[in-house]
Amino acid sequence: MGALGKPIILMVAMYVFIKFVLPNIPGSAPLPSSLIALYLLLTGSGIVIFQTLSKESKDAFWGPMQRFLTGENLGGLQALRYGVLILFPLLVGWQTYGSTAVSDLPPIESRTIHPAPPGEYTGLSNPVAKTPDNIMQGKGFYAAYCSPCHGGNFDGKGPAARGFVPAPANFADPTTIAMLQESYLFWRIKKGGVGLPIEGTPWKSAMPRWEVELPDEWIWKIIMGEYDGAHQSPRTWE
Amino acid sequence: MKPGNQMIKEVLRNGTAAIVAMIIGGASIGYAQESVSVRAALTTGGLPLEDPNAAVWSSAPPATFPMSPQVHWQNRIQEVTVKDVIVRALHDGNQMAVLLEYADPTQDPDDAAALEFMVGDKKAHFAHGQPMLQVEGGPVNIWFWKNKTDKGVDMSAKGFGTLKPQEHQDVKAKGAYSNGTWKVVFSRNLSTGHPEEDVQITPGNFISIAFAVWDGRKDGAGELVEKGSQKAVSSWWYFRADAPPDYSGYMYAAIAAALALGFQFVLIRKLKKGQ
Ligand code: HEC
Ligand code: HEM
Repeated sequence: MGALGKPIILMVAMYVFIKFVLPNIPGSAPLPSSLIALYLLLTGSGIVIFQTLSKESKDAFWGPMQRFLTGENLGGLQALRYGVLILFPLLVGWQTYGSTAVSDLPPIESRTIHPAPPGEYTGLSNPVAKTPDNIMQGKGFYAAYCSPCHGGNFDGKGPAARGFVPAPANFADPTTIAMLQESYLFWRIKKGGVGLPIEGTPWKSAMPRWEVELPDEWIWKIIMGEYDGAHQSPRTWE
Repeated sequence: MKPGNQMIKEVLRNGTAAIVAMIIGGASIGYAQESVSVRAALTTGGLPLEDPNAAVWSSAPPATFPMSPQVHWQNRIQEVTVKDVIVRALHDGNQMAVLLEYADPTQDPDDAAALEFMVGDKKAHFAHGQPMLQVEGGPVNIWFWKNKTDKGVDMSAKGFGTLKPQEHQDVKAKGAYSNGTWKVVFSRNLSTGHPEEDVQITPGNFISIAFAVWDGRKDGAGELVEKGSQKAVSSWWYFRADAPPDYSGYMYAAIAAALALGFQFVLIRKLKKGQ
């Protein structure tokens, strides 16, 4: 069984690694079972190809397997052989049941967080002078209009945020406004959730369409106040 | 080695790794999930269509959803009484009933609650199906209960200012207040003759649902604090009426197991003959 032992150990080790070690590496997440199956399939194929490269290793690999299946001179392993022969059909049955069972999970809707803006909202620059006065005014407007959702600390945890899915953006997080240009924010604030294209799932967004309530100049000031308050700066390149 | 044997080994070679991978990978399924949907359990013992306190409600799985003060659109409100709603649902294949439960310290004539559904295939914004700029939206169907009248109003909206009662009233509602808790049951037939204005419920399918609650308390000047747009609202969640049990999975499993058994049998015979 020597030639079979190593591949089995290798497969088990691979499984343990993918399933339990990989998700704990910072920045990664648990893998979906289909991906785990794919990785194991690749590992398995690799082992088989490697083992069958030469004639000798090929016989050493397949010989024991063949003897095991036919039950020749197995002796004490005979019981194990019957176990495998019974277990295999049961596992196939179980797999089939699992793959035909109707899912209890609701449909998964993927959402593009930063979809492309309409053409007229690319490359606009902030027409308001970046003076301490204007920044302070922007912060005042932010406190009045935005903080109930986006939070007084710009962290997305305002007192009204709890029921909204998707949650109000966290501006202190480096993956929101720090990745965006002022022009992009101007679009998002003016048109709100309902202005998103279909891949942004506009029907779920609570982000108001501020153009119906706030003049453009206020929006530009709010943008300045927002970056300043969240200690981020707009993306300027491109 | 004989050619027949060679072929079988070919099969084995490709098959074994795939099967091992399939079994190990598949055996690891299992997700944790927060409340994202209301599941209407199928029941045969009669639905509590107008009874919020019926014992059978305990057989329906509860789901809890967070509420926000409505700060999306004017007139806004910054603070509301109700922070969460607990929702249960039942159906019998013809009719369905939804039980909304929430904490409210006082019973007032103007206490009110509502369910909202998307209607048809088009997505609708959760704020009354207000128009979206790049996506063509559909209408919403709102079921509105008020303590004052203690009945349900079947309404339609597509945008602010368009909310109105429908010509065909298909919804029933009834509330019961005790110990600081409102329990309100809404009920209707799963399908109606008006698919363009009423949500149609097909067991097994997920549809979108949202909630709203008004605490009818008054301020010092005797004015209602929560009214109209000023209320607790939720986002879109899912609702599904359970499909009748389906045993075909067991049948497919049995066929697959029998095939695997047959495959083993043939394989071993061939291997034995080939040697
Ligand atoms: C009713 C709650 C609410 C209020 C009030 C609100 N927002 Fe939002 N906002 C959201 C939600 C929810 C999102 C995330 C969904 C989306 O992108 O549409 C969001 C997203 C955004 C984004 C996009 C961030 C990104 O990373 O793409 C910006 C910018 C933004 N809000 C700015 C503002 C500003 C400025 C104000 C005040 C003038 C404001 N919001 C007021 C709820 C709100
Ligand atoms: C952010 C989300 C929401 C906003 C901005 C909003 C806004 C409004 C507005 C402006 C009105 C006044 C009437 C009108 O314009 O037609 C109103 C009334 C109403 N809304 Fe909403 N709404 C929201 C969510 C909901 C939800 C989720 C429901 C149901 C579950 C709902 C049910 C109602 C009902 C029943 C009324 C009538 C109240 C009455 O006559 O006393 N709303 N809402």
